[in-house]
Amino acid sequence: MTEPLIELRGVGKSYANGTQALKGVSLTVARGEVVCIVGPSGSGKSTLLRTLNALEGIDQGRVVVDGIDVHARGTDLNRLRTHVGMVFQQFNLFPHMTALQNVMLAPQRVLKLSVNEARQRAEALLAKVGLLAKADTRPAQLSGGQQQRVAIARALAMQPSIMLFDEPTSALDPEMVGEVLDVMQTLAREGMTMCVVTHEMGFARAVAHRVVFMDGGEAVYDDAPPAFFAAPRNERLRAFLGQVLKN
Amino acid sequence: MAAEPQVSGWRRWCWHGVYALIIVALGAGLYGASRRVDYTWRWDRLPQYIVSTEGEDIRAPFDGFVAFSADGKTLTVTEMKGAGTERYTGFAQVLVGQGDLVFQNDVLARKPGIRPGPLLVGLGLTLEISALSLVFALLLGLVAGLGRVAHNPAARNLAATYVEIIRGTPLLVQIFIFYFFIGTVLQLSAFAAGVAALAVFTGAYVAEIVRAGIEGVPRGQMEAARSLGMSTAQAMRHVVLPQALRRMLPPLAGQFINLIKDSSLVSVMALTDLTKAGREVVSSTFSPFEVWFSVAALYLLLTGSLSLLVRRLERRLAHD
Ligand SMILES: Nc1ncnc2c1ncn2[C@@H]1O[C@H](COP(=O)(O)OP(=O)(O)O)[C@@H](O)[C@H]1O
Ligand SMILES: [Mg+2]
Repeated sequence: MTEPLIELRGVGKSYANGTQALKGVSLTVARGEVVCIVGPSGSGKSTLLRTLNALEGIDQGRVVVDGIDVHARGTDLNRLRTHVGMVFQQFNLFPHMTALQNVMLAPQRVLKLSVNEARQRAEALLAKVGLLAKADTRPAQLSGGQQQRVAIARALAMQPSIMLFDEPTSALDPEMVGEVLDVMQTLAREGMTMCVVTHEMGFARAVAHRVVFMDGGEAVYDDAPPAFFAAPRNERLRAFLGQVLKN
Repeated sequence: MAAEPQVSGWRRWCWHGVYALIIVALGAGLYGASRRVDYTWRWDRLPQYIVSTEGEDIRAPFDGFVAFSADGKTLTVTEMKGAGTERYTGFAQVLVGQGDLVFQNDVLARKPGIRPGPLLVGLGLTLEISALSLVFALLLGLVAGLGRVAHNPAARNLAATYVEIIRGTPLLVQIFIFYFFIGTVLQLSAFAAGVAALAVFTGAYVAEIVRAGIEGVPRGQMEAARSLGMSTAQAMRHVVLPQALRRMLPPLAGQFINLIKDSSLVSVMALTDLTKAGREVVSSTFSPFEVWFSVAALYLLLTGSLSLLVRRLERRLAHD
């Protein structure tokens, strides 16, 4: 667990409207590590995650993922993204396709797998997230928790070495949060490298190797869970935790 | 869809009655007005211009003599100053006799059956032009619509310029330009120039429909596809466009209806579409009122059945 798979060095990012979302963030994630990112809304967590697979560009610094300089000129972004799976808050499943087709699409089109290979892979992954029975169901007919599990299977179908989760349970009814977190915990146990933006402190405490606290576009605090939650030496983090853990 | 406030029971029928009354009154007014002008209505002349029951004429190909076979079912014309012979069968009505001398283009006999009259032939051309223009307009509109949402400034500006120019000038003027300028330069037939003008015109509107359809698909769809390693083109083709198409179908069908109506303007070129056929029939019957009402009814038939189809399509898509 020493080889760095993700490395950010002084990453700065401003949006076109002038909002400075990231102010010199440095962060390293080792292979097999699970890092949870917490912080108040608008602190730049999503932006940080999206610079990792170049859904957003950066103005300053350097992002290296799996040995690839993400924002360098001439980087093959499509190839990079096949190494980096992403799961969104709003699932973003393709509504015109069944669950199975959602999972099969990218392996077929990007990896050029045959229909049979893609189907086998997709069925295995749907089974893994407990939804093989829903293979031929459209997203609209699935619950939020089921949709998010299909979305995880879809990302895994590219056999990525890193998985990014942007508040994967924030759009879910409370009773469905558990089923999604269970799938993520299984992934973590299998040794997947994961960056998880979340408000689920219980998950962070139980699964994460490290927790990063972001505030105002900066990575303010970074520690292993026991220390992170027990005795934070940072005032802003104390205030944040006091608020989050109250309810 | 919000539920419409229900007008119930007998009151609803009352309002249907009011509607019928107004329609009847309008019709009566129209009839009364037409009685005031000195005009003889000759509706009986009209059907033959839509469907002709006269059958097709068989005409002599050259000057010559007529001979019949023993059973009378085959007619042979032998050329007077040459060796040509021509045989005909399957006629219903014979207008010449055995051994008659006929001259070129004389009617020898008539084939039986029903033929489309000039108005129906015109309707056919209108349909043909509209359908062909639609195909090209869809292709052009798709390309221009994709250009409108592209990141490349050249593509964006080109598409925007095309749409603005076409939407900012009258179709009739565009048709003249296509016919007299582009048609001459590229040696296009009137038909090709007409189809091109209509396709280029409609394509600009299709482009806006395509753009709106694509922009109506949530951003997250493109992002999800890209995050899986798909190229922009792959994401467009497999993820965004299929979803955009559902939104585009109803307005596209509406645009096709417009296209059918707009196609009447190509009658200014030497093309005998439904409108031009109407003009020709008017000049041979001197019954402009009947003819133009009939032409309008034929257009309405086309557009009406199309909108019926569209309404069904919309209902099916809404359920999906
Ligand atoms: N596309 C965008 N355009 C402009 N500003 C944005 C955009 N996305 C996010 N921001 C702004 O950047 C800051 C960080 O946003 P974000 O990364 O979404 O925070 P978080 O995920 O922690 O809530 C916020 O102030 C937000 O308003
Ligand atoms: Mg966010």
